[in-house]
Amino acid sequence: MKILVVEDNERVARFVTKGLTEAGHTTDHAENGRDGLFLAVSERYDVIIMDRMLPGNIDGLTIIEALRKADNHTPILILSALGDVDERIKGLRAGGDDYLTKPFAFGELLARIDVLSRRRRQDTAQTTLEVGDLRIDLLTRKVTRGARAIQLQPREFKLLEYLMRHAGQVVTRTMLLENVWDYHFDPETNVIDVHISKLRQKIEAGAERQLLRTVRNAGYMISAEPPPGVA
Amino acid sequence: MARVIRSSAATLAIGYVLLALVALVLFAAPLRYAWQATIDDFRFELLHEDSQRLTHVFDLRGPGALAHFIDERVSMQIAGERMLLFSDPAGRPLAGNLPAWPASIPTRAGSYTLPVDLDHRRTTIAMVLTALPGGYRLLVGRDVDRFTPIERRFWYGLAAAVAVLSVAGLIGAVLIRSALLARIHSTQQTVAAIMRGDLSHRLEVRSSGDELDTLAQTINRLLEQVEQLVHGIANVSNSIAHDLRTPLAELRSRLEELALTRPPAEQAFAEIDAAVADVDGVIRIFNALLRLAEIDAGLRRSNFVQVDVADLAARAVEFYLPAAELKGLSLSLRDPAPAWARCDPVLLAQAINNLIDNSLKFVAPGGRIEVGIAAAADTLAVVVADDGPGMSDADRPRATQRFFRGDTSRATPGVGLGLSLVEAIARLHGGWLELADNHPGLLARMIVERGPPAAAIPRQPTGLGEPRRDVETTA
Repeated sequence: MKILVVEDNERVARFVTKGLTEAGHTTDHAENGRDGLFLAVSERYDVIIMDRMLPGNIDGLTIIEALRKADNHTPILILSALGDVDERIKGLRAGGDDYLTKPFAFGELLARIDVLSRRRRQDTAQTTLEVGDLRIDLLTRKVTRGARAIQLQPREFKLLEYLMRHAGQVVTRTMLLENVWDYHFDPETNVIDVHISKLRQKIEAGAERQLLRTVRNAGYMISAEPPPGVA
Repeated sequence: MARVIRSSAATLAIGYVLLALVALVLFAAPLRYAWQATIDDFRFELLHEDSQRLTHVFDLRGPGALAHFIDERVSMQIAGERMLLFSDPAGRPLAGNLPAWPASIPTRAGSYTLPVDLDHRRTTIAMVLTALPGGYRLLVGRDVDRFTPIERRFWYGLAAAVAVLSVAGLIGAVLIRSALLARIHSTQQTVAAIMRGDLSHRLEVRSSGDELDTLAQTINRLLEQVEQLVHGIANVSNSIAHDLRTPLAELRSRLEELALTRPPAEQAFAEIDAAVADVDGVIRIFNALLRLAEIDAGLRRSNFVQVDVADLAARAVEFYLPAAELKGLSLSLRDPAPAWARCDPVLLAQAINNLIDNSLKFVAPGGRIEVGIAAAADTLAVVVADDGPGMSDADRPRATQRFFRGDTSRATPGVGLGLSLVEAIARLHGGWLELADNHPGLLARMIVERGPPAAAIPRQPTGLGEPRRDVETTA
């Protein structure tokens, strides 16, 4: 993927661009708002990472608004030290697609970028989600593994649906908290682990192939094939 | 004098006095005129009676008899009682105590009050003029100027009343002002002491229950809150210093040890991972403290919307259910009937989560945790009851202090901010947190104000996620 990083803090910028490059992406870096805007409109990027605090007291949100007004719909992930829900809403309203507060774990950033870049390719007319022989029928709300029918409670269904919509992508605990439970604060996240293991028990019975995987230091992923470097 | 007038109490008193004076004048004027009119009417009635009597004499016995009658009358009357004049058609006086027909008097019959020259002095006479058959004329009158001293006495009396009222008013103004100044002076002194830094002072409240006392009580309550906040800030600074030093010190020694011992790469990276986890822990504490500070400053009150608190509780129970089952605990929601309140849904959700999380940490396997909502007219309580070890009587009041960990909990994870967050959130919503013995176990009640009824406020926006149940169907 081609990613633009607009960030004036040298250390953070180096951390992010190096990590992204090692994960196999191409990155461009802009140190201020003007350069960032210039690059964003003159090149095609898969994802833009935009810091809010830019030199000259420019708020990254104004750049995002400018981009959206110029009919540029590149997915944007906002980085900010301002963490509360109101700021997040402000960021999303300005045209951002996701919001990550500093300090952040790199795995979190990587997972969210991955999700962002694939978002626009998703077919909203899908009526089923399939991973291996695990199948969700979105119309009847029925879940089956091969021939076996699986009974899920509403929240478990929502959790599985979210994982399957992001099949093959890393889904972090924070993403699950936000999207499945609508919690925008940080409870002890190991409660999520228990939800996942309960779900795993239901969808992986006996000798069935493992689909729901734990990605160390990152989160979870549902996929038929294990991704490189994951058990 | 000018300073007295500038005092608001004096202004009030003087205004009141002026009002009283105006009222007095407005009262006196109609009274005076009524009195005047009554006397006039009475006087003329008497004059008419007299005229009629004399006319009767004229009718019965003729002019000569009348002249004689009048002269007798004049000789018998007390000085100035009546002015009488009987004249012939040519105007020559025939009888009476007036020397001549006064010049300024009209010729037509009727009642008049006119100035007349009499014995070289000018006076006013109220008179009744009668035209008798044959051209004879009769004047029956009364010297009215004789009464001016009496009238003057009335005005003197009124003026005296005004003067007394004014003086009393001014004295009253001065007295009120000095009384007020005395109370304000004591308030000034207290406030000066407070501003110098001693927040424990309070304004004097007398038992009179008047407006100044009410004001003093209100200010005292404000001072209490300020004192609490200031102590809270001091506590937080102390807590931060004390409780963050520990994880930061651990982090530092871990990294320093790494630098000194230079272990093989595998172990080094394991240590680095652990260091990152330490930093995350510190960040979590900072975030929680920041949130507490935000809440204490009341900044989030603008985010209040109508929320079904029972729904929030149901979601919290559902969130923690697997974790509870894993621990062998029963977690349930009692009676999920909708319970609406005006609040910050994010904060309230966090508070309910914290209460359940707290119970989850301490209840032994086989125990029960029950969540319920108790709704009253103005308030709502979220109740989390468990049958675990509970808290000792000594610990319970301190449980909501920042970084407080009870003696039995030192071995469990967590930093001790959970319950202080719940309490701060309850306070932001006009309520409080109650911790009691559940016999056995802990009974935690978070009370919040329900706020104005549903119709008055916009409903919770559904932009943040899935739509809440019951939003569309509630009145």
